[in-house]
Amino acid sequence: MMGSADDVVLEAVDIRKAFGTHEVLCGASLSVQRQEVISIIGSSGSGKSTFLRCLNMLEIPQGGQLRIGAETYDFSRLRRPPRDAQLARLRRNVGMVFQHFNLFPHKTAMENIVEGPIQVLGESPKQARETGMELLVKVGLQDKADQYPQQLSGGQKQRVAIARALAMRPELILFDEVTSALDPELVGEVLTVLKDLAAEGTTMILVTHEIAFAADISDRVGFMVDGTFAELGTPQDVIYNPKSERLVRFLERFTSGNRI
Amino acid sequence: MGYDWDFGAMAPYMHLLWKGLGVTFLYTIGTVISGVAIGLIVGLVRTNASTPVALPFRAYVEVFRCTPLLVQLVWMYYALPVLLGVSMSAATAAFLSLTLYGGSFYSEIFRGGIKAIDKGQWEAGHAIGMRRGKIFRRIILPQAVKVMIPAFINQTVMQLKNTSLVSTVAVGDLLYQGSIITSTIYRPLEVYTLVAALYFMMLFPLTLVSGYVERRMEIR
Ligand SMILES: Nc1ncnc2c1ncn2[C@@H]1O[C@H](COP(=O)(O)OP(=O)(O)O)[C@@H](O)[C@H]1O
Ligand SMILES: [Mg+2]
Repeated sequence: MMGSADDVVLEAVDIRKAFGTHEVLCGASLSVQRQEVISIIGSSGSGKSTFLRCLNMLEIPQGGQLRIGAETYDFSRLRRPPRDAQLARLRRNVGMVFQHFNLFPHKTAMENIVEGPIQVLGESPKQARETGMELLVKVGLQDKADQYPQQLSGGQKQRVAIARALAMRPELILFDEVTSALDPELVGEVLTVLKDLAAEGTTMILVTHEIAFAADISDRVGFMVDGTFAELGTPQDVIYNPKSERLVRFLERFTSGNRI
Repeated sequence: MGYDWDFGAMAPYMHLLWKGLGVTFLYTIGTVISGVAIGLIVGLVRTNASTPVALPFRAYVEVFRCTPLLVQLVWMYYALPVLLGVSMSAATAAFLSLTLYGGSFYSEIFRGGIKAIDKGQWEAGHAIGMRRGKIFRRIILPQAVKVMIPAFINQTVMQLKNTSLVSTVAVGDLLYQGSIITSTIYRPLEVYTLVAALYFMMLFPLTLVSGYVERRMEIR
């Protein structure tokens, strides 16, 4: 997938992040083209979530650079954390869907979806609800608009959460193991939505353990080891022709029968 | 036991009891409002401010939580005036100590309620570009309030009960008026039974409301 420099939605260079003395990210780099779908795989604790959370600055890295749209951050030069308002502006362009949904339990599905458009983008409630309904149709939950999260299954909750992220019309959406907390029989309905989004050209980065799915929908796959990308390339290269011993062994765990 | 009950002997003094009831009621309402206001401010500062800024607020909470209200009341009335060189009426000392004592507990209720909300709720708000203040008002607070309600009602019941301590510095609340009547008609059994019944009649409905609210919250 080639494109001009303008087609780069996000560029992360040499991102470093430590919690205390524990270095979690040790120079992770990734550049994301418009409409690209990138999957990140890797063992638990390798830093995948932390990397995603650095991309929308839920965690502020301690080193490296991040370019999103017109804004560039050089973290080694940053003297104090960016201001709340600045972070909020950045995050309008970078959506995120969480493993545990994090829906607002005191709001209905529709209210969850329109919260951002009304409160952040300043859309009229009427317009936000119209768009919200289109999004609910898209994720197959048009009849659940007035249900509260407690009344929904895990798969339905996650689809509402995806609609909530889409409602902000971000440049890029980050998905952090969005099917990991689901009962096995509910995984498929969420993957179907993700596949539709990928087919429509949504720019996305997914952290996932669904290797076959990742191979199927991704333009590129990154294998993270100890806070850096040990391999990064097309699914053909990374998943079907792994170079490192580590990746071979990692993939074996997922292809030799049941993964649990 | 053969005790000869005679509630009739109290009849000429009932107006004193009603007056005392009014004072108890006003002290409760007044110090709940002022205590909640202080609790809200202290709770917010302690959840949001850095440690050095929050430290004096924490000291306030610990001091007032870890000393008996009666000691605070007596200290405010007899000791504080010496320290400041101003005289303070019993009514003021009583109001001040009840307010500060209640405030320390309310602040912990607010703080606990806010902290009880999963940090994923903050993150979900951030992820759709909301700013901290807005997340707090629209996402965190509505959920925290629900968590707080039982403890809040509980504390308010305590606050009403605690007003009875003001009688020790001769503020004319329900208990104080009871003791005045008793010393006049020498009928402690009738008087204090009625006083207890009046407290009960104020508090029992509150606990019913509390139970009702808790049940409603479980349904949601
Ligand atoms: N907020 C945090 N504070 C301290 N350590 C953390 C924090 N978040 C993550 N870590 C640590 O960073 C490492 C990587 O975590 P994470 O990015 O969640 O890995 P992954 O998503 O690949 O499983 C883990 O060892 C984890 O314990
Ligand atoms: Mg993770």
